[in-house]
Amino acid sequence: MTHPAVELDGIWKRFPGVIANAGAGLTVRPGTVHAVLGENGAGKTTLMNCLAGVYRPDEGHVRIDGRTMIFASPADALAAGIGMVHQEFRLVPTFTVAENVVLGAAPRVLDTAEIERQVGEMAARFGFQVEPDRPVWQLSMGERQRVEILKALWRDARVLILDEPTAVLTPQEAVELGEVLRRMVADGRSVIFISHKLDEVVSFCDEATVLRGGETVAASVPVADVDASELARLMVGDVAVEAVPIAVAMPGDPALTVDNLFVRDARGLVAVDGVSFDVRSGEIVGIAGVAGNGQRALTDAIAGLEPVEAGTVTVMRTDVTNAPPQRRFAAGLAYVPEDRLGVGLAPKLPVTENAVMREFRTLRRGPLLNWASARAFCDRIVERFEVKIGKRDAPLAGLSGGNLQRLLLGRELSGKPDVVVASQPTRGLDVAGVRAIQRLIVQQRDEGTGVLMVSEDLDELLSLADRILVMNAGRIVGEFNAREATRTQIGEAMMGTTAEASA
Amino acid sequence: MIGLLAALDISEAAFLGLVVATIQFATLLYLAALGEAIAERSGVLNLGVEGMMAVGAVCGYIGAVSTGSPWLGLVIGALAGAGAAGVHAVVAVGLGADQVVSGLALTILGLGLANFIGDGYTDDPRRSQFTDIDIPLLSDIPWIGETVFSTTPVTYLAVALGLGTWFVMNRTALGLGVRAVGESASTADAAGHSVAVIRAVAVLVGGAFAGLSGAYLTTTAIVGAWSEGLIAGRGWIAVALVIFGAWRAGRVATGAVIFGFTLALQTRLQPFGVDFSPILLSMLPYILTVIVLIVISIRARHQPSPAPAGLGIAYRREER
Amino acid sequence: MRGGQPIAFVVGLVFALVVGAALLTISGDPVFDTYQRMWDRSFGTADTLSATFNRAVPLALAGLAVSIAATMGLWNIGAEGQIMFGATAATLVGRIGAEWPSPVLIVAMLIGAALGGALWALGPGLAKAEIGVSEIITTLMLNEVAVRLIVYLQTGPWKDPDGFGFPQITVKPEGSQLGIIWERSHLGVLIALAVIAGFAWFVNRSVWGYELRIAGASAKTAAYAGISMRKKVLGVLVLSGAVAGFAGGVELAGTAARLNENISNGFGFAGIIVAALALMRPSGVALVAVFFGAVQVGGQSIQTLGVSPAVAGILQALILFGAIGAAVLSTYQVALVERKVVTP
Repeated sequence: MTHPAVELDGIWKRFPGVIANAGAGLTVRPGTVHAVLGENGAGKTTLMNCLAGVYRPDEGHVRIDGRTMIFASPADALAAGIGMVHQEFRLVPTFTVAENVVLGAAPRVLDTAEIERQVGEMAARFGFQVEPDRPVWQLSMGERQRVEILKALWRDARVLILDEPTAVLTPQEAVELGEVLRRMVADGRSVIFISHKLDEVVSFCDEATVLRGGETVAASVPVADVDASELARLMVGDVAVEAVPIAVAMPGDPALTVDNLFVRDARGLVAVDGVSFDVRSGEIVGIAGVAGNGQRALTDAIAGLEPVEAGTVTVMRTDVTNAPPQRRFAAGLAYVPEDRLGVGLAPKLPVTENAVMREFRTLRRGPLLNWASARAFCDRIVERFEVKIGKRDAPLAGLSGGNLQRLLLGRELSGKPDVVVASQPTRGLDVAGVRAIQRLIVQQRDEGTGVLMVSEDLDELLSLADRILVMNAGRIVGEFNAREATRTQIGEAMMGTTAEASA
Repeated sequence: MIGLLAALDISEAAFLGLVVATIQFATLLYLAALGEAIAERSGVLNLGVEGMMAVGAVCGYIGAVSTGSPWLGLVIGALAGAGAAGVHAVVAVGLGADQVVSGLALTILGLGLANFIGDGYTDDPRRSQFTDIDIPLLSDIPWIGETVFSTTPVTYLAVALGLGTWFVMNRTALGLGVRAVGESASTADAAGHSVAVIRAVAVLVGGAFAGLSGAYLTTTAIVGAWSEGLIAGRGWIAVALVIFGAWRAGRVATGAVIFGFTLALQTRLQPFGVDFSPILLSMLPYILTVIVLIVISIRARHQPSPAPAGLGIAYRREER
Repeated sequence: MRGGQPIAFVVGLVFALVVGAALLTISGDPVFDTYQRMWDRSFGTADTLSATFNRAVPLALAGLAVSIAATMGLWNIGAEGQIMFGATAATLVGRIGAEWPSPVLIVAMLIGAALGGALWALGPGLAKAEIGVSEIITTLMLNEVAVRLIVYLQTGPWKDPDGFGFPQITVKPEGSQLGIIWERSHLGVLIALAVIAGFAWFVNRSVWGYELRIAGASAKTAAYAGISMRKKVLGVLVLSGAVAGFAGGVELAGTAARLNENISNGFGFAGIIVAALALMRPSGVALVAVFFGAVQVGGQSIQTLGVSPAVAGILQALILFGAIGAAVLSTYQVALVERKVVTP
């Protein structure tokens, strides 16, 4: 009898305050594409990092081809034939494709032309389209992912782990990836495909293992034998998610109007491609979409952090298209950015200085800041939004994620905004934190504020939003009434399939 | 050529002197800059060149005169330079301290140590110097032969080290690893290269080259002895030269000749009766470097800068 | 770790003294006598202490200049050149206003020095703010330009006609000397203290200082808060240059007899070490500067014992390396303890 290519057994991995894996297991047969399914935070990536030598499991066994292994580093795992493609690529931008592929596993003396030839040959064998002599900085995200896969193949990885590989791919590229994976398993290798998207799993994979709350809830289910709704039920569990109570929306006049907006990203590529929509007072508009389809550029442009190439942004009938961020805030636009600690807050500065980041211009006394008023201002936010802080003058970094977000949201709401743009406002928070932030957002809506909310969590949007806009490749490709839409409809729009069909 | 010299009223002897001085200064600058380029390619800025050169100079001198062999002097100078660089390797690479602060402190330490060690050797009349080596046949070529192909073996060594550095950096797995560490330490780490070891070795090699450069001053007829203030800011020109040469061994060599020429002009200008202050001319390398840096920065908007992307950034493996 | 910095400094000091003692022993110099002499000639008497204070003035102001730039994460390693050009500008003012009444002349020279330092930092500031050119290299390069400018002036346009052929600049005008306030300490000691205290207060209290801290957090946070990074980068580098230039003016009017290429004497580089040891905080800068001033002044005195004055430079660098080691090792220890808790 042949041994499984990979066998993970009773894996436990704990981090401070979090148990990421609680006895999770996984068995992968050689020559198959095996899906590891689960919602965000189910422990998929941690489990795979235990297999790839990034983490050492606290308990449990890792067996490769029937032999128990202990990996001290990713290099150890690679030597045993385990290659992993992480969500953030690890490539040297100035190196060529070939140089990146052979890095760390190159012949002692390099013959550039020979290596480019070998890499090109290997790519062709697996059906990749790459130019081995192109520098990586010129490549698209999809092409870079191919370089990452080639890196693993160059080291003759028998098992390839792909962590949410389609998140950065266009639908066409995703189909191509599927073909490449089929060739790899035909070659006798195994692929572990981490995902939380059911349609991909159904089209690419042979078997699926479902994780929930760090445990394996379904092991090696043949994908052909189950339907997608059964997998979905396993992923989210039987317990219905208790929704935040939400009243019927009473939308008023448009509070935020985005008209035919074009934005380019740092690389000069079109990130937002002619987007138009309204957010009316007293409604929550959700933006759904796979990460990296222009959501961040859209919200940054609305908030004034990205220059607008063409189009207009209007807040309460005031054109703010070219206004600096502080003018927009004064006009009634609040912004909760996706990157809280890198954009919205300054973690090394005291709580007070973070609390007044929007209002400090009104708190001055000549050239000096009025510190008494600033502290009082900070206290009001802390009290009203129930932020748990240590000392007011201590650096912010000591606060928990939920309290950081309460402070940030509280600061933005303290200006009594007409529009709140919130990007991934609940991501990474614990359950209590998620509920608190969601309540605050709904409460704002009920008080007549217009809310634009970007989230990758479709369930969150379905339960909170009144309308859902779907973004794909920088465009709005669908609009849904959140009360009537189904996950499938929205999911299809997110993948760009309906838009492709209708275009 | 002869006509041009005549027009400028420059004697042939003065011109040959200028070429010889250019070669000498170019050798001096190239050795130090090549070493700094190696360290910077691995992502470590070492502003201690001036100090490492001083230590190399004084130890090279003492080694040469006490053993009677300039070759041994050169080796001792290189080892001393590497030893000084070891401080930077420990503090900036091992402990992850800020490279700017550590490097500048190394300059202060190196100059202090060199003056301390060399305290009794300042007026030492002993000499142990390389003699010029004529390359057969080539040295018979008029003009070029008696200047370029009749010089100290250190110049030939510098050329060999330059070629060797180019080969290692561009044609070996080791060089690929060094460049990867300098561009993206986390990527190199994930690919199985030890960031700390590669950086430490690059810094040590860089220090050895700076030590060679310093010892070149004290084991050849250029100076041939030790005195305080001997390095006189040449370490800073070497730092500039790395940028001027875009971190590449070949371009740094070209830059070394250009910068060496401006240094040579300062010492050799008077005989030509040119009415231009050599001091103002000596500002040229620094101003050129600033201009090159500005051009690099403007071009970096559209393409990656030739500067190693990870230069100056300490690396610590991320732990969740 | 912040609270542990005084301890790290003391560890660095002990480390420097121990390694220094080893070096002295190897070279056959008397360890105890050397340290005794350095102490006597720096802190020993009111007279020597006042000289130490004088030496601390340029070190503290240079350290302040470095720490101002560091608030935003910028490295001004051109304090050396800014001191030199500041002193040059002060000399220019002195040459123009040689006949002015003394207080007017001194004030004008100090203002000129600050403007000169600001001008010397303007180029790197513009290049950084507008194009993103690394200020580390541009400020460093301008050091070398400044020293050559002074050499040019003293051998050329400003050559002293009565210098008996020696290249030096005319003795600074009478009436440009800062008054003596205590023993040998000149008024510059008080001025430096006032400048440091003023900056510390202003950066802590003002809207400008607040904006500086936000801009130092990250460029994106600054944009979010509506703060112009370009203006802040330019402003902070020019201000840093002005403080360093001012140091050059005070040194010229207080201690130096005349302008020459040694006017800065490594103060700019030592100032970087001072600022690093003080964790870029102004109050710490003043204290560390006094220590470094003592090491420098004491170092000059040991020559009569037959010991190389280079010991002073060695000690200064070793204090820094020792302190870095102590700080890093203590945080490592914390990290080790934490990791034990993480993975039982």
